[in-house]
Amino acid sequence: MPVKINTPPIQSRFYDFIDVLRDAHIRISTDEILSLFNSLPHTVFDDKNIFKQTLKTTLIKDYTDIPLFDECFSRFFEKGDSLEAFLDEADSAAQQELSDAQKRDLESRMDSFLDELTRNDIFEKTAEELLSLFLDELMESDSGGGGMGMMLFQSRSSVQQSYSSPARREGEEGPGEGERDTFFDQLLLGMMKNRLDKKKIGSSLQEREDYLFNKYIYQLTPAEIREMRELIKRFGQKLKNRISLRKKKMKHGGIDIKRTFRSSLQYDGIPFKIYNRNMKIDRPQLVVLCDISGSVSQYTRFMLLLTHTLQGLFSKVRTFAFISTLVEITPLFREMDPERAMNSIYADTDFTYGWGSNYGRCFDQFIGNYSDALNKKTSVLVLGDARNNNQDPGLDSFIKIKERSRNIFWLNPDRKHLWDWSDSIASVYQKHCVEMKEVNNFLDLSEFIDKLFLDK
Amino acid sequence: MFNSIEHTIESFAKERYISSKEIATTVYLALMMEKPVLVEGPAGVGKTELGKCVASALNLDLIRMQCYEGLDEAKALYEWEYAKQLLYTQILKDKLSAMLQDEKTLTEAVNRLSSEEDVFFSEKFLIPRPILKAITGDNQSVLLIDEIDKSDSEFEAFLLEVLSDFQVSIPEIGTIVAKKKPFVILTSNSAREMSDALKRRCLHLYIDYPSRDLEERIVSLKVPECGNTLINDVVRAVHKIRELQLKKEPSISETLDWARALVLLGYEHLDHDIAVTTLNCILKYEKDIELVKKHAREIFVH
Repeated sequence: MPVKINTPPIQSRFYDFIDVLRDAHIRISTDEILSLFNSLPHTVFDDKNIFKQTLKTTLIKDYTDIPLFDECFSRFFEKGDSLEAFLDEADSAAQQELSDAQKRDLESRMDSFLDELTRNDIFEKTAEELLSLFLDELMESDSGGGGMGMMLFQSRSSVQQSYSSPARREGEEGPGEGERDTFFDQLLLGMMKNRLDKKKIGSSLQEREDYLFNKYIYQLTPAEIREMRELIKRFGQKLKNRISLRKKKMKHGGIDIKRTFRSSLQYDGIPFKIYNRNMKIDRPQLVVLCDISGSVSQYTRFMLLLTHTLQGLFSKVRTFAFISTLVEITPLFREMDPERAMNSIYADTDFTYGWGSNYGRCFDQFIGNYSDALNKKTSVLVLGDARNNNQDPGLDSFIKIKERSRNIFWLNPDRKHLWDWSDSIASVYQKHCVEMKEVNNFLDLSEFIDKLFLDK
Repeated sequence: MFNSIEHTIESFAKERYISSKEIATTVYLALMMEKPVLVEGPAGVGKTELGKCVASALNLDLIRMQCYEGLDEAKALYEWEYAKQLLYTQILKDKLSAMLQDEKTLTEAVNRLSSEEDVFFSEKFLIPRPILKAITGDNQSVLLIDEIDKSDSEFEAFLLEVLSDFQVSIPEIGTIVAKKKPFVILTSNSAREMSDALKRRCLHLYIDYPSRDLEERIVSLKVPECGNTLINDVVRAVHKIRELQLKKEPSISETLDWARALVLLGYEHLDHDIAVTTLNCILKYEKDIELVKKHAREIFVH
């Protein structure tokens, strides 16, 4: 099928789609757009797979964005109208009785009108309501865009009528003049709807993610947790990529005398080639102590999932779990994926048997059995709500942990004003931590990890 | 050169490479637009194979560069042959002193010498490495840069000039522009993220595990002695296994191994017992095998 791709309407449809992708926070630069338009003469439009792949291969450069792209694509192109409709629609614009200039004028007004609206307006109001608001504003602002004044005016009243009482309109709609109005109404309404849909697709996807990441981990429903598993993987991958890029930058050390000298031998001792020593990248070692009792288990699950997605960034991660006794669970994670490892911990009845968390006893046990895990490079991460059930806090051992490690952080899922409330002894421990941080959604969590690598 | 996307698929099929429309589209566009392709995807889905296949389908030379940590421009672009330069100066010592004999002052001697120094920094003393080779060749070639994610991020910077302008700048000589632009394929297992600059210069292709239909065709092509029932059983089982949360999912090459093994053992269809005893063909971790065994009843229907 020969397609004239250089007509402005078709191009603007592509830009619309690019806007949708950008709303979904996919980064698309001019280079990608250029290569999309360069590719169009070589591709075919009547095969959907090929068309989709053309867009994907030119626009998307990060494979973690592919699920998002697929979602945007299916919503943008398959929402009722097919691929042909996408192309046809561009042609139909020519049939309108409006001149190009008028149409462009109207479009730009509509765009700026929509840009000023708040998010809530866009998501809650219908296209008809917004159209009537838009027409109102247009009437007030000036004489209503050269020559279209009368048409717009009629349109306004009929649109307002229609959305205030749709039933009546259906009954009263007569032939003749009404039809012409309807046609113009439909055009306006169509324009408005297109714009709304466009705005909604990208940002609604993005909002769903933001919503999940910001929601209290406690309040996530099982369905949402399942949904998040993918997100965490994707997000973890991005975080990992970013941090590893940052690490790479500080690689060069001084001259490697030994190696330079050795290679110079073949050139009669003249050091033709100079070798640099690679600076040792000091990846932090991490010891994670997590309370997995009922009160915080949901939260811990997420933390463990994230730390293990990021495992490659640390030179060593050792993970310990406790309720009333402490066990090392590192080997579990080595053997299976985090999800299964977590489940198998809870399935172990020896371990879950007990009377609620006992932080003191577990710190004592840690110092007694596992203090070899600590050295001056270790960061210790304690996850828990510090609700010790009125038992001995084991502060001596906690201080020992602190002294033998590089630093110690405590992530507390409780709200700050609840610390020290009831059986929580947060402030007892807080005094000895570098930081005790309130962390109860996913974004806080990843922010913390990100920072762990900056503080060097 | 390929005429169309369909033609691309057919030509690949002749080279015994079954490609999806997505793969063919990207390769075709990249050839038309003269842009490099960055191929990502899980291990064992045929990324490297794609590069080889393009080369043989178009009857071009394949120049392959395997990346690793510490790969530098001397190994990838070009290198001066110091030893040869040194040797030549030694041999030419007499000639040089004869040449400089007439010069009276030291300055004149230096000037005389430096007018000749081009001799020592010419292409005669240059060892071309894969990238330079791909560019200077008289025929068009396919340059396969394999596992680019294993190289250091500095290395990407060397590539940028090649990828966008198909040229290499050598300070002592100048810029060498490609006579015939090579078709560049980069593969990555996503061990780390590529820089934006690199991604911008390439078309991006993500190859995922193939659909059942496609995978069945691949098996029947590569293991022709395998009967239809067996192909069907094997591919269905592999697809179900991929849905489990495994440490290492079986890829196409594992599916092929499994099919071959079953043929050698003389089976014509796959039942539960056979499958469980031969699981080690497709799974590489003890824990994964255990997990699959636990779900065996759902996976192997016969």
